[in-house]
Amino acid sequence: MPSFFKQRKKKTNSEDHKESGRDQPNNRSLEFIHDSISINLDMIKQKTGNSSDIVIRTLNISLHSEIKTAVVYVEGIVDSISINDFLIESMMKNHALQEKLTRENALEVISNNIVALGSIKLVSNWEQLLLSLMAGETLILVDGTNEALSVGTQGGETRSIEEPSTQVAVRGSRSGFTESIRTNTALVRRIIKNPDLWLESMKIGKATQTDVVIMYINGIANEKIVEEVRQRLKRINIDGILESGYIEQLIEDQTMTTFPTLYHTERPDMVAGNLLEGRIAIFVDGTPFVLIAPTIFIQFFQAAEDYYARFDIATALRLLRVIIFFISIIGPSAYIAATTFHQEMLPTQLLIAISAQREAVPFPAFVEAMIMEVTFEILREAGIRMPRAIGAAVSIVGALVIGQAAVQAGIVSPAMVIVVAITAIASFATPSFAIAISARLIRFLFMITAATFGFYGIILAFIMLTVHLCDLRSFGVPYMSPFAPFSPKNAGDTVVRLPWWALKQRPPFISNENNIRQGKDQKPHPPTNRGMVNSHTRKSDQNES
Amino acid sequence: MEKAKISAYQLFVLILLFEHGTTLLLPLAVEAKQDAWLSVLLGMVGGFVLFWIYYGLYQYYPDNLPTEYVQKIIGKVLGRLLGFFFLLYFMYIASRDLRDFGEMLVTVAYPDTPLFIVSALLMLVMVYTVRKGIEVLARTGELFFIIVYLLAITGFILIVASGLLNLTNLKPVLEEGILSIMKITFTQTLYFPFGEVVAFAMILPYVNQSKKAKVAGLFAIGLSGINIAIITVLNISVLGVDLVSRSPFPFLSTIQTIRLAEFLERLDVYFMLTSIICGFFKISVYCYVAVIGIADLFNIKEPSRLVYPIGIVILFLSITIASNVSEHIKEGLQIIPFFVHLPLQVVIPLLLLIIAFFKNRKSR
Repeated sequence: MPSFFKQRKKKTNSEDHKESGRDQPNNRSLEFIHDSISINLDMIKQKTGNSSDIVIRTLNISLHSEIKTAVVYVEGIVDSISINDFLIESMMKNHALQEKLTRENALEVISNNIVALGSIKLVSNWEQLLLSLMAGETLILVDGTNEALSVGTQGGETRSIEEPSTQVAVRGSRSGFTESIRTNTALVRRIIKNPDLWLESMKIGKATQTDVVIMYINGIANEKIVEEVRQRLKRINIDGILESGYIEQLIEDQTMTTFPTLYHTERPDMVAGNLLEGRIAIFVDGTPFVLIAPTIFIQFFQAAEDYYARFDIATALRLLRVIIFFISIIGPSAYIAATTFHQEMLPTQLLIAISAQREAVPFPAFVEAMIMEVTFEILREAGIRMPRAIGAAVSIVGALVIGQAAVQAGIVSPAMVIVVAITAIASFATPSFAIAISARLIRFLFMITAATFGFYGIILAFIMLTVHLCDLRSFGVPYMSPFAPFSPKNAGDTVVRLPWWALKQRPPFISNENNIRQGKDQKPHPPTNRGMVNSHTRKSDQNES
Repeated sequence: MEKAKISAYQLFVLILLFEHGTTLLLPLAVEAKQDAWLSVLLGMVGGFVLFWIYYGLYQYYPDNLPTEYVQKIIGKVLGRLLGFFFLLYFMYIASRDLRDFGEMLVTVAYPDTPLFIVSALLMLVMVYTVRKGIEVLARTGELFFIIVYLLAITGFILIVASGLLNLTNLKPVLEEGILSIMKITFTQTLYFPFGEVVAFAMILPYVNQSKKAKVAGLFAIGLSGINIAIITVLNISVLGVDLVSRSPFPFLSTIQTIRLAEFLERLDVYFMLTSIICGFFKISVYCYVAVIGIADLFNIKEPSRLVYPIGIVILFLSITIASNVSEHIKEGLQIIPFFVHLPLQVVIPLLLLIIAFFKNRKSR
């Protein structure tokens, strides 16, 4: 009961908060820009706390220099070359037009005849003015008018397009997303050159005003899911969005699970492939990781390369990855169960070998496994966070401590080292880090059940895990589809990948009714009679000769 | 009624796993000796008829649970009473099956663990599942259906490959005539496992394609009948009639005889995995049916709140229904079929169908 009241209280609090948040901009938007430029500039200085990166350049234009204007921008987030060349220079040196200039038509003349930049717009209230200033636009203020011009000069230093570091492919595009949202959307648009590729922008985060873009292909994406994504994004009321992980955690279907219900990728080709299947991509400014919704479980076993490699190879690799996932979950627990409860299952000689090794080990198998697993997790965490220069030291210590010293000291048995090593490598081989890390957590749960109830415990935990997976949803799509609920039409691109000509349809639970991907009979039909081709070439050869 | 829908395929999968539940565990129709598989197949035919009865009732009242339409057929008071009996029956059978599994695990793998702990763990997983509702249960079924079939196929290949199959054990066919097999069918295999489909009368209203539900149900009964017959044939041909009739868990004994390539042997876990998965579905379905039935009968808005108490009731019932294994098995073979299964699976549904038929004809 107390929890009930607590919740209610919270709810009203957040509502109040929202209202106050809504009121503020309204109050501010009432303050229109003043006529006098000096008051305006003072206002800007005051609002920004006289920050040192805000550049205010006052100019006197027109023939007799009687019109005072000012150019205001934030240094570092603007393209200073274009401001100097196309804005300030042309404003100062355009003598022909300066004759025409009067106070009344100044803004019009500047925007129509002077500024040689693409995007330009009029702003009249302070909120808009400051937002566009902070977004990297350049403001032009003119004395005597209560409006200002805002010129699109976003720029500054960004990282160039590099190869994605988390999803490497042997074959396939080498470009990965960067931190700039415009570059990222452009990378996808370069792949899908289609007017139906629609973008919807919004700003999320009261303090950070982060750009968030929803991208989908109109006519392929399911409108209901697009609307749901829109609604969930609009609900977000938070001070800042620093990475797509914020968005992911605020819009996911279920929080109490170790499994990711939204996919994230660094590869433009993967985003394009998912858009073509009817999914929706969510770009967030400032991060190379793009979210993809709705997500199903099997997506985490698909690599971009699967679609470029031939189908038999892709299928073999997919099956391997599923097996790897199982190994990384139940590897150590199966060893614990077999050595503690079900010795009869092991072949006699192996059993003798293992028990001979374990003779000197003072701990039960579970403690042994825990020591090794925790040690390994520590090493892995250390390997990720520490400076690169010390990396070699850690790997030497790790190899010696885990591989040799622990065995020689009689703390663990060599068989245990093998099991932990295989499990560790298996968890690295899973293509998606997000699912590998959840397998890491679940592994410990399985180890506990195995230590208390042997294989019975493992089976029960496995059933429970499956029930949990079947319970999950991602934007209304069951997580385990197309296996549960089973739909044979979609099963072609899951643990197996059929040849491209056999993948005729998009997954119907994700895309809308328009789900035919290809024309009829796309199977290649090379001429069956090889001699015919040869005779044709031979004939042409003869002709040439 | 919970607001949920399952597809006909999901119904098919659920019935299939349900039917395999305890039949993998216990000896079936041992009195028929080497003709046990014939008795199973005859029972399957009986199962078709029984499913047809339940489906007929469902067709008269497609939107109502049996606990509701029973009240429409024979009146409020009597109907409620009968519905209540059905729910008790479901809970009782659930606890019997739970006991079966508890005994199996204690006998086979965990002799030092108390029966209560072993059963309680299984019940915990089932409570977790049933709380999620029929949709999740059905989806889980679809996944495990694939796993169980992969296990079954590899198991079959292993048995055949290790050269254990001795089909002469099955001869002579019909040694004691068809009548004795009929008798065993009508005293055993018809009720267990095929008549137990009566639980699905409670699940039929959730199926979204009512026409396909009939086909799915009949197919599931047919396929599971064939599978169970194959298992019986395997047991008899590998172990021989004598061993099968003396073994408490014949299928386990069959699997234990597998010895291949000097390292594939003692595959107890294989058996444990398959039978626990199937048993899990059987008990979960009974448990779910009991929960929605009680919620419907006593007008409880949220059935999921009932899951914990009913789970605990089933758990304690499974401990208290018999003081030891032999009592438990004797009850199951000699008392339950005639005094519980026969009236609740066959006689009452048939009477209900007849009354419903006349009632609905009159009203039209």
